[in-house]
Amino acid sequence: MSLLRPLRVWRLRLRSLVRKDAADTELHRELAFHFDQLVAEQIEQGLTPDAARQAAHRAFGNAAALEESCRDERRVTWIHDLQQDIVYGVRMLRKQPVFTAVAAASLALGIGANAAVLGAFDAVIVQGLPVAHAERLVAIQSVALDNPSQLAGNSLADYAAFRDRTQSFDAMDLSIKSAGDVADDEPGAPPQRTTGQSVTPGWLTMLGIEPLMGRVFTVAESQPSSPAQVVVISHAFWQRRFGSDPEILTRHIRVQGTVRAIIGVMPAEFRYQEPGVDYWVPLFVGARPDASGRLFGVRARLKPAVSLAQAQAELDAIATQLVAEAPVQHKGWGVRVRPLNEFLFGWTREPLLTLEAAVALVLLIGCANVAALLLSRSSVRRREVALRTALGAGRGRIIRQLLTESVLLAIAGGALGLIVALIGQRALLTMATPPGSPPLTAIGLNARVISLLALLSIGTGLVCGLIPAIRGSRLDPMSSLKEAAPSAGPVRRRTFPQGVLVSVQLALALVLLIGSGLLLKSLVRQVQRDLNFEPQGLVQFDFNVPAGRYAQRIGSHHGFPYFEIGPAPAQTLARVLDRLRTVPGAESVAAISAPPVDAFVLATMEVVLEGSPAISHAASAGGPSINVDAPNNDATYFLVTPNLFGTIRTPIVRGRDFTSRDTVTAPWVAIVNETFARRFWPGEDPIGKRFTLDTVPEEQPRQVVGVVRDIPTRHAESPQPVVYASYLQQPSRYRGPWAGLFGQMQFMIRPSGDPTATISAVRKAIGEIDPGRPLVDVTATASHLRAGTGRFRSFVWLVSVFAAVAMLLAAIGTYGVMAYTVDQRRREIGIRRALGAGRREIVAMVGRRAVAFVAIGLAGGLAGALALTRLIESQLWDVTPTDPLTFVAVSVLLVAIAAIACMIPARRALSVDPTVALRTD
Amino acid sequence: MPKPSDLLQGTLDLLILKTLSREPQHGWGLAKRMLELSDDVLTVQQGSLYPALHRLEQQGWIEAEWKDTKQGRSAKFYTLTREGRQQLERELTIWKRLSSAVGLLLKNA
Repeated sequence: MSLLRPLRVWRLRLRSLVRKDAADTELHRELAFHFDQLVAEQIEQGLTPDAARQAAHRAFGNAAALEESCRDERRVTWIHDLQQDIVYGVRMLRKQPVFTAVAAASLALGIGANAAVLGAFDAVIVQGLPVAHAERLVAIQSVALDNPSQLAGNSLADYAAFRDRTQSFDAMDLSIKSAGDVADDEPGAPPQRTTGQSVTPGWLTMLGIEPLMGRVFTVAESQPSSPAQVVVISHAFWQRRFGSDPEILTRHIRVQGTVRAIIGVMPAEFRYQEPGVDYWVPLFVGARPDASGRLFGVRARLKPAVSLAQAQAELDAIATQLVAEAPVQHKGWGVRVRPLNEFLFGWTREPLLTLEAAVALVLLIGCANVAALLLSRSSVRRREVALRTALGAGRGRIIRQLLTESVLLAIAGGALGLIVALIGQRALLTMATPPGSPPLTAIGLNARVISLLALLSIGTGLVCGLIPAIRGSRLDPMSSLKEAAPSAGPVRRRTFPQGVLVSVQLALALVLLIGSGLLLKSLVRQVQRDLNFEPQGLVQFDFNVPAGRYAQRIGSHHGFPYFEIGPAPAQTLARVLDRLRTVPGAESVAAISAPPVDAFVLATMEVVLEGSPAISHAASAGGPSINVDAPNNDATYFLVTPNLFGTIRTPIVRGRDFTSRDTVTAPWVAIVNETFARRFWPGEDPIGKRFTLDTVPEEQPRQVVGVVRDIPTRHAESPQPVVYASYLQQPSRYRGPWAGLFGQMQFMIRPSGDPTATISAVRKAIGEIDPGRPLVDVTATASHLRAGTGRFRSFVWLVSVFAAVAMLLAAIGTYGVMAYTVDQRRREIGIRRALGAGRREIVAMVGRRAVAFVAIGLAGGLAGALALTRLIESQLWDVTPTDPLTFVAVSVLLVAIAAIACMIPARRALSVDPTVALRTD
Repeated sequence: MPKPSDLLQGTLDLLILKTLSREPQHGWGLAKRMLELSDDVLTVQQGSLYPALHRLEQQGWIEAEWKDTKQGRSAKFYTLTREGRQQLERELTIWKRLSSAVGLLLKNA
């Protein structure tokens, strides 16, 4: 086959497309020639020229139709039709700016919000981590068998066993975060608090991200026999601290008292880890570590072709072995392997799905809104459509024209939706991340989001436009053309679909409103939760003595750093406390090692009750212990000063507060919360009981002298066992990750009068004690608490915004349809008024249908909400998914808004002037 | 008398191609020639003829050229292209097979 034919064909197509006029003229001439020949033939047969022409016309038929069918053979007519439809559609939309604006805005909200949420879902959950072999990366955690939702880190013993006994992984590494570290480099540079991680050598490269500069650790550098003093720093730290010094690899920094050579800088995209980590130092884990603290994060990479289930099965078997080998350490704990992306960003799944449900409802309401508007308009346009039909437009052609208009509308909506999507994504990024999760930075407008927008727009246009287009095209041209003005005819049937759409919109809006109402109520419950202390009027500030000044690292013990703790922090803190007590206006002053509620990092200690052997010693002895059946002996641990509970006004249920007599030489004491007392001594009097914290031999047994009400350590969690100890009664050595614990204090001050004066006096006092220290940042405790509910707050806020938008759209839809109905019935109303109908009859006539549709919407919405709110049960807090108060209150709100939306058109019905209404015919 | 619509699908294209294979023609002349060649049996209405011509042109089987008629009027003349000639052969083969099959069936049934 030669190339000539395709060439010719394409030339012709192109010509019919770009030189359409020439092609049309030619066609016209060709047919005119044929017609002339017909006429000539008739004349030859003896007819007069006039008669001949008439005969030829009869024989020739509809010339326009013939031209059209010839044009159809060009295979490009659809392009021309589309062009025509678009030009015409744009003209129609511009002629009715209010309609266009309302419809496009309705769609923009729905389309944009969906693109934002689906885009985020795509980026975070579907696409996963943008690193090599992301699907093979997993996080391994311990799980409490009696409470599968309680996930913890792994102990070193777990890690060593997993690393040495599994076959499923080709890499397994671990990290531990150290809070309150200090990095200082050359003399002159001020010390700085940063956060770092100790990691095994492979940890940094497991994600497949290579260092930007330099290298990462070698296995040899982590050997305890010859530890190399090296450190790898983050990109942010390199920029912030070293001004992106290109010679960085020649510099050193002092980390926790050790001078270390900087051997590498990780790139900026290396951020799939806890936020704010600025440096990494090597960590070695021997073959048989026996530390039992579940404090380490374990990451691993599955071998190719090994499934998650296989890895889980292998780890389960090892967990069982571990329980048999060392029951004290391992009993009650299992192991759980999860994809790394799920581990890092799994928390976004539920809120994103809930948001997606919300915005999907918004889009549906928007569609219903636009469909109702288009339906109303299609009745107004009956005559135009009839005219087009009479002029030879087929039904398909009419439907195409009407659909083009709605797609145009949706594309306009999609373009506006782009703005909504941008705003929406920014709002999504404000969803606060839970502690320990990397921030959501991966969300952005990418090609996928844009194409999603385009698809949503066109799809929405087709969905919204289909019913109105089909109905609009189903017309008898004769009757419609004859009809001069909207008649007093069967309006009821004609506006029935719009009424149904109103019901649908109201029902969808109600579902969304009830969902957001339940979430709002949860938020209120959470915010108003009785914290068992009085944040109102309290101010607080963070004060810390750098760990480098008092903690001397003397080695490592069972895999933990081991420190000699000097007396300095307690002395400094005591001095600050004494000074603050003299500040005028400070009614009472106390301090606690971390904010009592929603602290970023909480120290936990393993508790050994008197009479039971110390856990790690029991483990190394391999002997059984009376504690075996209590799987979790961890308690949250706070160091406090005397009079803390008096200052923050936490009720002491039994016993006493710490006093100035509880010094390091006095018998060591502790105060526990009620949950602690209940868990460890159920049904017994805790006062006078003794326990030891499993840290170092220097730690002395503590006697319980008081029990306080539970202060929840996290806003949205049930109370955990808590131990409070005096900051003065601390051992001189410490083993574990929280060396900074001894020098950090959250001072809590209750001013008696004007807090601002007290705050400035406090700042001045601190400046006198330590002139080199930057001014302390004194904040209201209440605002700190607000920050703690930030994540839930921003999520609930987002859902509520969408619910409000949904309500607004539904109200506009209701109003639009009611106004249209009244408009259609102007004549009828006029006649009735002329015949003496009173205002009440008119309102009843207009309102009867409205009441019916609102009632249907209400019933549908309540049924939908009853069925669907179960799905967000896990996100509710202290509120049942069928909370009657919320259901009733929201229904009343919806009915009220619907009533207002109906009232305005009803009032307009009353203002119909009978004479004018009758004259419009 | 059979109308073109009664013709088998695709037969009109075959007839046009065959008729044009003798000499280039304009639409009017083509209709006349087809009537003449079929002993006044096949009247091809312009409603079918012109769309068919345009279709064949778009498919590249025929090409058009404006030329003067014997009477000196300008008209659009269609000519069979080389590929059109091949297409005519193909369609003829198909037609022969079809018509003999129809004939066979009518004889034997």
